Amino acid sequence: MENDSKTILIPNELCRRAGIAASWRPINEISIFPYEKRSYKQKDGPSNFASDQPSSIFHVRHEVILFHPILRKLVNESNANFLALQEFVAEKPPDSKTEILKMSRQYRSIIRACLLNLQDDIAKTNITPKEKQELKDYITIFYSIECIWHLCEILFIDVIPGNIVLPPLLDWVRFHFPKPERNAATLLSGDTDNLDLEENYWPTVFGNFLQGRMNVVRALLQQHSAAQTAVFQLALNVLKNMPILNIVPVSEFSLRWRHWTAEIQIKLDAKQFMSNRNLDLIMRLIVGEESAWAEMHPHCETWYDFLAGWLFYTEPTVKTFELGRFADQSIDRMRVKHHLKHLDRVLLAFMKFDLFEVIKEIQEITDNGWLVSHLTDILFHSGRLAMLENEVQNFSSEDLRESFILDYGTTLMGHKSLWQVGLSYLDHCHKDGLPAIKLLLPRVAFDSEAKATNIISEAKNRGLNKVAQSISKILAMRSLSQGRLGNALTWASKSQDRLFISRIADKFLQEYVDTGEWRCIDMLDDFGSSMLASERLIFLGKFIELHKLYQAKEYKECGELYMSLLNSKLVPQYFWSVLFDEALTLAENEQLVFSSDQTEQIIYRLEEKQNIPELVSSKVYLLRLALARNLKRALMYEAQLY
Amino acid sequence: MFECQEISAEHKDLIHDVSYDYYGDRIATCSSDQYVKVWDRNKEGKWTLTSSWKAHSASVWKVTWANPEFGQVLATCSFDRTVAVWEETVGDTPGPGKRGQRHWVRRTNLVDSRTSVTDVKFGPKAQGLQLATCSAEGIIRIYEAPDVMNLSQWTLQHEVQCKLPLSCLSWNPSPNRSHPSMIAVGSDEPHTTPGGKVFIYEYSENSRKWNKLETLNITEPVHDVAFSPNLGRVFHILGVATNNVRIINLTPVEDSQLSGLTKLEIETAAQFDDHNSTVWRVCWNVNGAVLCSTGDDGCARMFRILSKTSWKPEGVLKGEGNQVPTAVEAAHGATQHIPQGSPVGSIASQTARYIKLGSISQPSREPWY
Repeated sequence: MENDSKTILIPNELCRRAGIAASWRPINEISIFPYEKRSYKQKDGPSNFASDQPSSIFHVRHEVILFHPILRKLVNESNANFLALQEFVAEKPPDSKTEILKMSRQYRSIIRACLLNLQDDIAKTNITPKEKQELKDYITIFYSIECIWHLCEILFIDVIPGNIVLPPLLDWVRFHFPKPERNAATLLSGDTDNLDLEENYWPTVFGNFLQGRMNVVRALLQQHSAAQTAVFQLALNVLKNMPILNIVPVSEFSLRWRHWTAEIQIKLDAKQFMSNRNLDLIMRLIVGEESAWAEMHPHCETWYDFLAGWLFYTEPTVKTFELGRFADQSIDRMRVKHHLKHLDRVLLAFMKFDLFEVIKEIQEITDNGWLVSHLTDILFHSGRLAMLENEVQNFSSEDLRESFILDYGTTLMGHKSLWQVGLSYLDHCHKDGLPAIKLLLPRVAFDSEAKATNIISEAKNRGLNKVAQSISKILAMRSLSQGRLGNALTWASKSQDRLFISRIADKFLQEYVDTGEWRCIDMLDDFGSSMLASERLIFLGKFIELHKLYQAKEYKECGELYMSLLNSKLVPQYFWSVLFDEALTLAENEQLVFSSDQTEQIIYRLEEKQNIPELVSSKVYLLRLALARNLKRALMYEAQLY
Repeated sequence: MFECQEISAEHKDLIHDVSYDYYGDRIATCSSDQYVKVWDRNKEGKWTLTSSWKAHSASVWKVTWANPEFGQVLATCSFDRTVAVWEETVGDTPGPGKRGQRHWVRRTNLVDSRTSVTDVKFGPKAQGLQLATCSAEGIIRIYEAPDVMNLSQWTLQHEVQCKLPLSCLSWNPSPNRSHPSMIAVGSDEPHTTPGGKVFIYEYSENSRKWNKLETLNITEPVHDVAFSPNLGRVFHILGVATNNVRIINLTPVEDSQLSGLTKLEIETAAQFDDHNSTVWRVCWNVNGAVLCSTGDDGCARMFRILSKTSWKPEGVLKGEGNQVPTAVEAAHGATQHIPQGSPVGSIASQTARYIKLGSISQPSREPWY
């Protein structure tokens, strides 16, 4: 057995003693029940486990946080962005970098909006501690996701001029560690006297110093009670002269930077900052003194905010590809090598440009694949995944992307209102998407006809007519079991299954045979061409038309129609009796309906069918009588005419 | 994270089979207590026992749903040598907005077998309403209801002699009408026999007969077989429960003699001995990506497909009594226990209780926060 496979324990004594068996519950649940194999060779009877303590069934499933209403917006908005991205790349634009970057930022703003939502909700007072914990967990998850996405965008999606990675890296650290800036703002906005008496004065100075916010550092130093002393003025002056990295060319910047630090080194050697320990420390940091940087560890929350500060002062022109090496060093310096958390490993893998490791790690996030599917997709479209194909044999970046999108779409398909979102992801899996839809779409449960109609149209849009027809049949069967015959017939006619439609039409006719009444015949008008799908349905339609004509007193047309029905080969055996009843009614009609010729035809049919069991002899007698009388009337009438 | 919902099944003995309807909204269970029970899920996700009836006069081995195109239909098979087809009917007086009284009616009793009927399965819906059964006497029987509106009429279409006692059966869920029907059966005959214990049959439209295509070279007793849902592949995948779990690819190849018979190329895609004991059952998830097996080690094990010939173990589920572990145990153990909620056997049947299973053991990894 593999070491890292997961074991889930089912808290049930019977399951432990007897053993278990499993079934799948569509779409994504596994069902466990206590089970012991019994053989037909054993004597049948109660097992050793038979008791009055009933056994239980356990449904086990992955917790899907995306189904939580608070994350609904994230799911829908990221879906819209995902679809926009697919549409964009489908047009194969010559330069896609800027647009893809825009979409990456859009994803980030969606995550941000989601986090703000979560923070609003957690601040509410009417939530239970359990809900609060849940929200807290979500916030942790999405903070990490935001942090990961941001770094990924810098290193893989954005174009960094000259590969000088520090400015965006610093932005990243500033964004995710806003505490120093916030503290500085609080300090500076308060009473300006004696800031240095505040407990967090120096930590705030160092925090901002590490994030390269030199203006803030200087503003804070100016508010120190000793700001007017020589050492402070000297320090302020030195810091003011710090070269800024946005100078081009880089060589010019490097020159100035070397010059600046050399000057500081001279001042340090002359012990000019000795009178203030903290200022001295700042200067030693700038020149990269090892012992000084060791003192910075407590000021850093993580190895990566340390890394940014350290690089800012010691390797300001660090290139993207050197980042991994420095990341390792920074981890060593912080002595956290053996305490790396999941997020640490993901970020480190990014800095080392080890995308395989990244993808492996981000699958472990309990966001149900949101990050791994969307991030892999955007990396694929920006061409960063294809590069891996050269490194690893038999690796297909497209397959990798598809496998995540497929899983994500499948997860969403399992939700009663997110299934269409899931569908849109499966649509963008070129290999296995359509077969997966074929399997999953018919399993979307529907409790209303509106939803069923929705599913049917989604099926038809994808050319899955079989699925659409099957759903129509299921609706017909449901209507049937609810006694809604008319509805059943409507749905059956949409199934295009001739035999099936005929069976339902039979039920309709049979009911008329039994009760002599129609239920909801109006809907038959709507059938139109689908009427032609089944002979039985045609007959039903014509027969109802006959009734309508009769009610409208259109006796002539009524007679014509009757004759065509009588002579068609559409009449079901069980219906002859009813059809002859109609003849009786028409023959007895005040106004003459049948001509002598027609009457003879009816008599001929009657003789032909008189052995049908439903035709009782008393009825045959009555019919013969009525027809004879009709014949007499018809002959007399016709004699008058000619 | 996993979550778990407990449903008290109210059977007085062990359950032999749990079967879900097409949407997973209804459960049918059967047991040695000779009863079949049906559970319905409401909009809030709560399960309610809606029917329970004594279905046979001996242990009921299997219960299975027909496709909803045929209505609400179940089939059961039993030690009492019979197979029964059940249909749910709704009483005559469904008031507005109310469901009428529902109950299950035995539409037919198929009594052709002279021995215990060990498995029963409805065929793929494209072939109409077909039912396959297999029995200890070694015969596969294929029944058909010619009129889907009248389930009291079933005709025995085919009887196929397999010579070995049969324990299990699976239809290949072929996606369309043009595919010939295919069935796999397994035998749990304890003695080694020449050849093998899994047989693949295919229906030939020309000869109107079921022909044996292949015998898989598995000599240990076979307890379950299951075809994977077909995701548009050119080959079929069969899961086999025997002394281990086997996943076998069956690729149809053109027959040179043009006899109309398909030939199969057989390849064992994966074999897992993780149970280290007899494997009793195998089943597939909806899209065929994961196979779940259960065995004598009391574990349910899951295996995920990576590629045509590559599978990996994915997770294990296990029954663990109802003691809550001490903090020390929880900290040290590779696995954690779920705290037990309300005692089993309470009137839990109508409650939808979810237990969080924070129990993913990944010794090599720290859990995500």
